[in-house]
Formats: sequence, structure tokens, C-alpha cells
Amino acid sequence: MAEGLVLQLEGISKQFPGVRALDDVSFDLRHGEVHMLVGENGAGKSTLMKVLAGAYGHDAGRIVINGQPADIRNPAQALALGVSVIYQEFNLVPYLSVAQNIFLGREPRHPKIPGLIDHTRMKAEAQALLESLGVDVDPQAMVHDLGVAQQQMVEVAKALSVNAQIVVMDEPTSALTTREIVQLFAAIRRLTTRGVGVIYISHRLEEVFEIGDRITVLRDGKWITTLNVQDATMDGVIQAMVGRAIDRLFPRDFMMEKGEVAVAVHNLHRHGVLQDITMTVRCGEIVGLAGLVGAGRTELARVIFGADPYDEGEVEIFGRTVRGSPTERVAIGVGLLPEDRKREGLALILPLRENVVVASLRRLFPSGIIRRAKEHAVVTDFVKSLDIATPSINRMTKFLSGGTQQKVVLAKWLCTQSRFLIFDEPTRGIDVGAKAEIHQLMNELVKHGAAILMISSELPEVLNMSDRIYVMHKGRITKELSREEANQETILRHAMGVTP
Amino acid sequence: MSETAWGTWARRVGMAPGAVYALVVLSLTFTLFTTQFLTLRNLTNVGMQGSVLIIVALGMTLIILSQGIDLSLGPVMGLAGVVLALAVKQQVGLPLAIVAAIVVGGCFGLLNGVLIARLGLPPFVVTLGTFGMAQGLALVLTQGSSIPGLGPAVQYFNDGRILGVQVPIIMTAVAFLVVYVILYYTKFGTYVFALGGNQEALALAGVRTRLYKTGVYVLGGGLAGVAALVMTARMNAAHPTVGVGLEFDAIASVILGGTSFERGKGWLGGTIFGALAVSVLRNGLNLIGLSTSWQVSMVGMVIILAIVVDSLRGI
Repeated sequence: MAEGLVLQLEGISKQFPGVRALDDVSFDLRHGEVHMLVGENGAGKSTLMKVLAGAYGHDAGRIVINGQPADIRNPAQALALGVSVIYQEFNLVPYLSVAQNIFLGREPRHPKIPGLIDHTRMKAEAQALLESLGVDVDPQAMVHDLGVAQQQMVEVAKALSVNAQIVVMDEPTSALTTREIVQLFAAIRRLTTRGVGVIYISHRLEEVFEIGDRITVLRDGKWITTLNVQDATMDGVIQAMVGRAIDRLFPRDFMMEKGEVAVAVHNLHRHGVLQDITMTVRCGEIVGLAGLVGAGRTELARVIFGADPYDEGEVEIFGRTVRGSPTERVAIGVGLLPEDRKREGLALILPLRENVVVASLRRLFPSGIIRRAKEHAVVTDFVKSLDIATPSINRMTKFLSGGTQQKVVLAKWLCTQSRFLIFDEPTRGIDVGAKAEIHQLMNELVKHGAAILMISSELPEVLNMSDRIYVMHKGRITKELSREEANQETILRHAMGVTP
Repeated sequence: MSETAWGTWARRVGMAPGAVYALVVLSLTFTLFTTQFLTLRNLTNVGMQGSVLIIVALGMTLIILSQGIDLSLGPVMGLAGVVLALAVKQQVGLPLAIVAAIVVGGCFGLLNGVLIARLGLPPFVVTLGTFGMAQGLALVLTQGSSIPGLGPAVQYFNDGRILGVQVPIIMTAVAFLVVYVILYYTKFGTYVFALGGNQEALALAGVRTRLYKTGVYVLGGGLAGVAALVMTARMNAAHPTVGVGLEFDAIASVILGGTSFERGKGWLGGTIFGALAVSVLRNGLNLIGLSTSWQVSMVGMVIILAIVVDSLRGI
């Protein structure tokens, strides 16, 4: 046994029907280190962690914890061995308290009355745990009433409460703001100083270099490389992930002649959410909408799309003043690619085919009868032109990767012949290779005269993709910047409401 | 009960569900429009009549909190009453007869629970099936007629008093306290909220979710058995069809009480208010002289009204 290793995964293989999800993968973790696990969607990161957590079995290989072979066959056994996993989708119960969530499944027993829970002790221990993480959350608050960042901290506390030696975090920052990420990283450092080993899965490569000690890259279910972070470079990691060199992360090498005004918003006001918004997007340009989480960007997009009402002002799309529902917007060529595409953009249990045509049935089949042959032809066209990676157009959408799902949402709006598209966080949770493809598609769209409004929290994305940028702060547009004027500092300053 | 439990209690009453308002409005209305409503005798009557409903609705609350539903509880209560009466007639002794009634309820709960939790079948369909089974079985056992004349020992559970309080009301209070402690002070109760709120999280915490989910239905069925005792005692007879429709009132009580069909949101105290509102409504309509058919219709309208008001209030 190697000295200082808390975990060794040796030659793990896992077969799903039709897919070899893990192929002879080895991985180890030292006490007190943060080991980054990266790879494109479908590379096998989550599967590997589910094997470790006992949520999946494995076909070959073995798990060694503290030098002892561990037989993990269900989540309870993994927990007993000190393996604690924080999944991407939070595993909290909304109408239980913070303390009840932290101790879910391990409630302390009442010292006197058998069968009852010792709420007093549970609360005190939860309080102590939260304090040790430097988090200010009331253990008796209902989880339902907490913000995302606080919920994340509850997850961390929950992971610690089992005396975890190994903590796995799957994309922990994807819903956090910059300040909250700082808080989370501080909590992670407290863990590692206690000797806890942290496995950290992330799509954000900057984080790798900020918090990681070592980094392991998986690709197509195989181990590719393990590096010390100080020996790694961003380009090198990306190359290892995608298996090919990517010239530029955010390609943009042309500017279009600006065409007609696609959308014009005048003095829009929505009580408590949006104030005095005036903006335009023209055909042939990508307009970036920057701002911190909660600045009102998604809310603005929803109002423009007609999904939410507004109190004052005017929205004009392709020269027409619009007032009504999304139905009206879709009819005149507006499409919204929502941030939460799994919930708002797609019907996950329906096949790809139906997701593509669902908003265009009236246009495609005016008689009301769906003709399969035509549907097949239309969808196959989009699969080809957008290069959608799917074994079949009948594939259930939930089995597709994040990037492919985003392309399906895009195909849906191209199918309605949208000419004004709103992308809300177009590449969130999408791996590097697919990200570049989405960006390329957006560029193609404006080349062909479409207008795009892009909301993004990733500043490099905003800077590289946008022709113009609006910065929002607390429901207002605080600044409009041209591509040339924009840089990270300026955007951040206006996003935080700091006026020079 | 800890101090905070009272704190949250007060907060919950503050943002009270439709039931509380429905109860107040209905009570005021019937006080104004009838002379008999606001009399001790009538209010006791409401409490007595409401006791069966409350006991069944307590179990229904836990089932709905766990994101389930149990349509069979009405007929199961009817069947348990029939079993109770048959056992009494067979001279097995009242204690054993009561146990038999509760066991019958529990067994139907077990059947529901196993089908729903083990096989993953939808609760609505499973309990619709057992609804028919329990109803049919009760009719077969009684050949369609009632079993009257069960004697003073059974009637004690309607007429008897402990410290001057009617036995059904005592039983209801005890049932509430027991279920309250189970829901808020035991693992089982915590897991009921978790089953409804995030079953995946519960499974990943290493908890045997199917066991607990089954347990919820067993508890609901067992409580229907207890309710059968009160019901049978009140009539001094078992009627095979007496329970039909009770599941409707029970679900109505839970909804009026502010328990939601989504994500394990709700509270037990609300169900008491909900059941009392339903009982007051039925009692008052009786006093006014509206038929039972109209009463069912009115209960339906009150439910719709309550959830409309709640949604407008943004709860």
C-alpha cells in the first residue's frame, strides 16, 4: 500500500447495455488533497463516483480504502466507510430543517425515550458543524427557505457529519455566485487541513488551478492522465479532455453588417424585478447580457419572451409591439433557450424527434395530422446540419449529453423559423468540446442574419462572443459597452454597481 | 414539546391554510342562520361525528405527505367495522375483535404499501383496486345487510365518558398525539417528509425507503381500523357501505389543512382544522336541512374555494 493514500480505485470497469461506461480506470486519492476529476460529458466521471458511492455496482476492479479492500454494494456501506458524495442535483429534503437534512438517515437517538429522535443534540451538532465550516445558517431553518449557496453549504456539512474521509463534489459551483464560490473554497480548505481527501468534479477549468492539487482526466470511460496541478497547463488539460487540440475556445473572426432591429425594449418596468430597461438587438449581432446572479437577466429574457408579465413600457419585436403570450412571440420568430434546459427547454422523456418539432406542429402539419415521413425528414435535416450526436432521432432526450441537448433545443427554435434567439447561459454544464460547437453554431446563426441575445455568467464567453454588451445590476441596465470597450474589469465594476 | 415546535406552530397558524378560515367562516355562517348550531350539544355532536374523519385523515396526511394517496381507506374502514361486528357476534371478546379490525386495516395497508413501494405501482391505481376489494369483501361478509345489536361493550366507545369527556373525542385526541409524535419526533416521521420531498436523497442516505413507504400505508390502514371501532359503536351496528365516501372527506380535510401533493409540504395540525371544517359544513347543512348529496357537492366546492384562495395568497 502506498503511503498517505486514503483511496485507491484499481482497474474499475462498468458496462451498461450498449455502452462501456468505464474501462479499466484507476484513480487514487491522498489524505488532505483536492484531486480534480475532469473530462467531457460522458467521459465517465459521474459513473466512477457512483461506483465509489455504492449507487452502481462494478464489473471488474477493486476499491481500496485506507489499504483495506472495500466491498461497497450500496450507499449505506459507502457511508459507513467514510465516503460522502455531494451530487450535482442537491439531495436535500425541502420541508425538513437544516439539522434534519444533515443527519438524514443517522438521526441521534433520544437518551431517555426509545424510538424518538434527540432533536436537541441534533441541532447542537448541526450548529457545531456549520460553524466549523464558517457558515452562517440556522440549523432549524427549513431547507426550502434557503438560497442555493446555503443549500450547498448544508450539503457540505451533511457530507462531513458522517466523519467522511473522502468527500466527492460533483460540479459544486455550477449554481454559485463568485462570492459564494470563495466561501465554498474556504470550506474545502478547512476539510483538507483535517486530512479529508476531496474529489472534485468540474467543468470550469479555472477552478482546477485555483483549488486543485492533482488532476485526473478521463475520456470515453478511460483514464487518460494524472498530473500535479503545478505541472499542468490549461491547454494541455483541454487537449487531454477532447483528444484533439482546440485552436480557440471562443472562435469569432468576423463581424456582420448590422441589419434591421429585431427587438427594441422601451422603458420596461416590472415591479420589484426590472426597472427602466431600454435596449435593442439587431439582426446579425450577438448582444451579451452580463451581470451577477440575481441581477434580473433571466427575468428580462422571460419578459421579452412573454413568459412573465410587465407593468410599464413597451416591447417591440420585428417592428411589432407585442403584448401577449409566448405563443405570439414564437409565431413572429422568437425562441428562448432557457438556462434550465432540462426542465424548461426539453421534455426529457420524449424522443429527440418530438422535441424538435413540438413547437412547429401547426406550421409543419396544418391539417392537424402528424405525418411521420415528413417529421422524419425535417428532424434528420437538423440532426445533420447541427451535427447532433445521437444514435437515432428516436433516442429519449434524457440520455443525450448536455451539449447535445442544447443543440436539440436550438433545433426546436430553428424549426419554428426563429430569427431572434435568446440564449440563457448557453454553455452552462456543457463540456469544452461541445461548448465550442455551440459557439460556432451561434456564429453561423448571426452570419445568416439572426439576432441573438446571450445571457452569460462566464465573462470570457461574454467578451468573446458579443458584438455589444449590456451590463445589469439590481434590475437596471447600468452600462452598454461595445466589443472594443469591454473588458473583465469594466464589466465586473458595472455588474457590481460600482460607478467610477 | 420543545419551545421551537410551538414557535413554528404559531408561525404556521399565522400563514394558516384555507381550513382555518373555512372553519371560522362556516361556523359564523351557521351560527347566524340556525339557532341550533352554537349549542354545546351540537358542538359536541360535531366533535363526535368528526372523530371518525379525523382519525382516518391523520393517516391520510402522512400518506399524502409521502406523495401517495389512499383511496381505499373509506371502504377499508367499512370492512374493518364488519369484521369487528362479526367477531363480536362470534363471542371472541371485544379486545380481540378490536385487534382484528385494526389488523384488517393494517393488512390492506400492507397490501397497498407492498404494491406501491416494492413494485413501484402508482398509488392511485393500486388503492382504487383495493377500494373495490375491500368494498366487495364487506358486502360478501354481510350479504349486503347490516349487522345490528352489538351490545353495550361496543357502544361504550360512543356513549362512554372518561373524566366527563366522550370516549370518541379522547380517542381522537390520543390518535392525534401519537401520530404527531411519530411524525415530528421519530425517524419514521422524518422519512415521511423525505419520501415526499426527495426520495432519492433518502435512498442515498442509506435508508430503506421501500420499508418506510410501506409503513406509511400500514399506519393509514391501522388508523382506519381504529376509526371503524368508533363508527361501529356510534351506530351500534356495522354497515358494509358506511365507509364509502369517507376517503373523499379525508382527502378534502388534508388538502384544506394545507398539506400539498408536492414535495412533502404540510403539517398535521392543519388536517385537524380541515376535518373540523368538513364536519362543521356537513353538520350545518344538516341543520339547514340540505340532503347528503348536496353536502358532498358543498364539500367539493369548499375544497376548490380553499385552494383558489391559497393560490391567490401565494401559499
